[in-house]
Amino acid sequence: MKLFKKLSLLTVASALLLSSAIAGTAGAKDTLKGKITINGSTALLPLTLQAGKEFQKLHPKVKISASGKGSVTGPQAVKKGIADIGACDWDASVDVPGFKAFDGQVANKVAVIPFATIVNKSVKVDNLTTEQLKGIYSGKITNWKDVGGEDEDIVVITRSFGSGTRVNYQAKALGGGDIVKKEKNYKEVGSSGDMKTAVATTPNSIGYIDLTYISGSDIKAVKHDGVAATTENVINGKYKIWSYGYYMTKGEPTGATKAFIEYVQSKKFQESSLKKLKFIPISAMK
Amino acid sequence: MSMPVHQAGNLEGADSAPMPNRRRTRRFNKAFFLNKLFKNYFLFSILTLCAVLALVIFFIGRTAILVFGDVSPAEFFFSLDWTPEEGRFGAALFILNTLSLTLLTLIMAVPISVGLAILMAEIAPKWMKKAIRPVLDLLVGIPSIVYGYLGLTVLLPFLRELSGEGLGDGLLAAAIVLTIMILPTISRISDDAIGAVPKKYREAAYALGSTRLQVIFRVVLPAAGRGIVAAVILGMTRAIGETMAVVMVIGNTPQLAKTLFTPSSVLTSNIVMQISNVEFDSAWNYALHMMAFLLLLISFALILVIRYLGRKGGAES
Amino acid sequence: MNRFSASRKQIRALRLDRIATACFYGLGALVLLLIFWLLFTILGKGLPGITLSFLTKLPEEIDPGGGIGPMLFNSFYVLILSLIISIPIGVGAGIYMAEYAPKNRFTEVLRICVESLSSVPSIVFGLLGLAIFAELLGIGLTILGGAVSLAFLNLPMLARVTEEAVRAVPDDLRNASYALGATKFEVIRSVVLPVAMDGIVTGICLVAGRAFGESAVIILTAGLSTSGEMWDFNLFSPGETLAVHLWYVNSEAIVEDARQIADKSAAVLVFVVLLINLLFRVPLWFNNRKLKR
Repeated sequence: MKLFKKLSLLTVASALLLSSAIAGTAGAKDTLKGKITINGSTALLPLTLQAGKEFQKLHPKVKISASGKGSVTGPQAVKKGIADIGACDWDASVDVPGFKAFDGQVANKVAVIPFATIVNKSVKVDNLTTEQLKGIYSGKITNWKDVGGEDEDIVVITRSFGSGTRVNYQAKALGGGDIVKKEKNYKEVGSSGDMKTAVATTPNSIGYIDLTYISGSDIKAVKHDGVAATTENVINGKYKIWSYGYYMTKGEPTGATKAFIEYVQSKKFQESSLKKLKFIPISAMK
Repeated sequence: MSMPVHQAGNLEGADSAPMPNRRRTRRFNKAFFLNKLFKNYFLFSILTLCAVLALVIFFIGRTAILVFGDVSPAEFFFSLDWTPEEGRFGAALFILNTLSLTLLTLIMAVPISVGLAILMAEIAPKWMKKAIRPVLDLLVGIPSIVYGYLGLTVLLPFLRELSGEGLGDGLLAAAIVLTIMILPTISRISDDAIGAVPKKYREAAYALGSTRLQVIFRVVLPAAGRGIVAAVILGMTRAIGETMAVVMVIGNTPQLAKTLFTPSSVLTSNIVMQISNVEFDSAWNYALHMMAFLLLLISFALILVIRYLGRKGGAES
Repeated sequence: MNRFSASRKQIRALRLDRIATACFYGLGALVLLLIFWLLFTILGKGLPGITLSFLTKLPEEIDPGGGIGPMLFNSFYVLILSLIISIPIGVGAGIYMAEYAPKNRFTEVLRICVESLSSVPSIVFGLLGLAIFAELLGIGLTILGGAVSLAFLNLPMLARVTEEAVRAVPDDLRNASYALGATKFEVIRSVVLPVAMDGIVTGICLVAGRAFGESAVIILTAGLSTSGEMWDFNLFSPGETLAVHLWYVNSEAIVEDARQIADKSAAVLVFVVLLINLLFRVPLWFNNRKLKR
């Protein structure tokens, strides 16, 4: 009997301790519940996923599911009610070239995304100018030897319409130049991951992607007009190919969604995980 | 065969007397009631199936038809320019690509699968036939996405090596993947069709001194012709409707496939790649639904052809 | 055809016959080799690396070493839900077509319906699911939506295999039972179904195998993500399945070991499908043998 009492006391005590420990880590917002569905830009996806993972540790009762395709899918999904947050590489609450504004949606700035030109490891070129890139993507330059490489056909990989990476790349790396469909050595892919896989596995290919995805030995980033694609060069203003990443919501965010966006915008996340993923904190840009 | 001789005997009624009357009627009522109930349930089931079909046609068709509010039918069916972001919805290129992909697939698949069917039905000894069938079933069991994945990781590099192309994506890669996928369908059904040719036909031909090859090509195949065509068409419906395996190897670029290695797109692959990019109430969404509706119509048409063949074949024999 | 005219023509025909026979055997051998090579490639590349933790762990999005736990769970969950919905209706429909349907126009229409439905491409069912669950009901991409859409896909196949199995039951058995005064339903329940069970189970296995590997429908109706936890029975969670994950991991290759994960997922997919077929069919094969002797 005594033993039983002791045991039960112990259980109660430990339960108390445990709960207070959980409460301690989760803070006052432990009551936060709900489901957040995030869709949209694959350029932002690594950030969303990492943030989601950390956020769920703080608030175990919040379920976060994220998936990505093109940027336009984000605000589109929010409009359809499929997603609570639509990740997008441009401010979809106002008109931008090629895309109409999504009425009633609020853009929440979450990160700076640097983009880079990438090539397959077989390509010997390590610098391309805006003019050269324009030539390659408009189909005027079709061989690597014309831009200082070996005598091999250039395989152009591009994102399909609706990609924020494409919108930004076209505007900032190609100086507004066109990306022209070709019958040979041309492929459209639907997401950043697709882009990475395609460039990594296709010899003599060229593509573009955000910095986060560049890893491994199969792809390499090339300099743009002599400037390397690094976060430092973006911050000091030398490297121009970047954009803000936005979380689109239907009206002002509320509840769990609001808490999540605040978490992503918080100093703690911006200065640690976000930087580690090669994104740039919003506060770093003037 | 041991047969459950159960309470049913009571239904005979009067002559099997010893049962108390009330109990008998109750049992009878229960059996009668169950009989009625389940008949209606089975009828309900089949009607549910029909309702699903109606649902498909209604939901897809309802959205699809709206496309002609924004795009003229002439443009949709005859224009090769698919640039939805600028309001140009020419679906002809997907239709043509689907047709050429199917044709290419059949060119490769039909000789192989019918040959295999002939081997199983006419040439191979019985034990071998018994061994081949389950193995073919294995092929059916492999999910389409796995075929696509193998196409992407094994076939594409191989084709790249072989052809010297930069990418390897395109009709040829998709057709090879589809060929492997529909091979078991066509050969199993053709096998059945050949097996159904009456033995006396063959015996008559052999009696005239024909070799086996002559029997096969002059007697058996013509006699099994309709069945084989039906098998081929069934394979065709699979090839036309297949999505994910094709998506992974065709290149997904909305342009006409002028060569075997042009990265292009077919009806199914374009729908799955673009549907999440579009608003529910946009011409683009309607156009994608119209493409799905076209897929439906094509499949229905093919099914009708199979039925027609089946009825004719049935009337002859 | 007498001996004296055993001419060149005949000799040529005989030789051709022999060559053709060899060709047919060669073709058969090639196809078999191809099949075994395929299986070997898939299973050989993936199976050796599979550990229990890979099968149960949560997927990693950024670091290597992630598992496929929730996807594998969703695959089975969606499959079982879809079978729960489709088997009663599909089998019922099959029984109606085999046992009840009178020979008339109405039946003809029903038959066209079943055949048409079975020819509907899976992507169209995906669009239907999207229209009903995301657009009309507004519940987004969920396990429920995936399961119901998958059930639609299963229905016509189930109906067909059931009908065939039921038709294959000899009429003698039915007549004997009727003669004992059984009602139609009693005949079906205690005579026809037990005899047809083999065929029906085989059919269900085929359907289950196909549904397990189905991806186009799931992508459109259950989405590309999971709720990020194991054993999530919530019907309204997003329900990415293993087949979809194979596609996703390949195109969203953020993790370094995406290729290995894809290889292993493919192996697991094929392995499970083979298992579904074997587990249920091997006992049936043995049964058949016994019966035939």
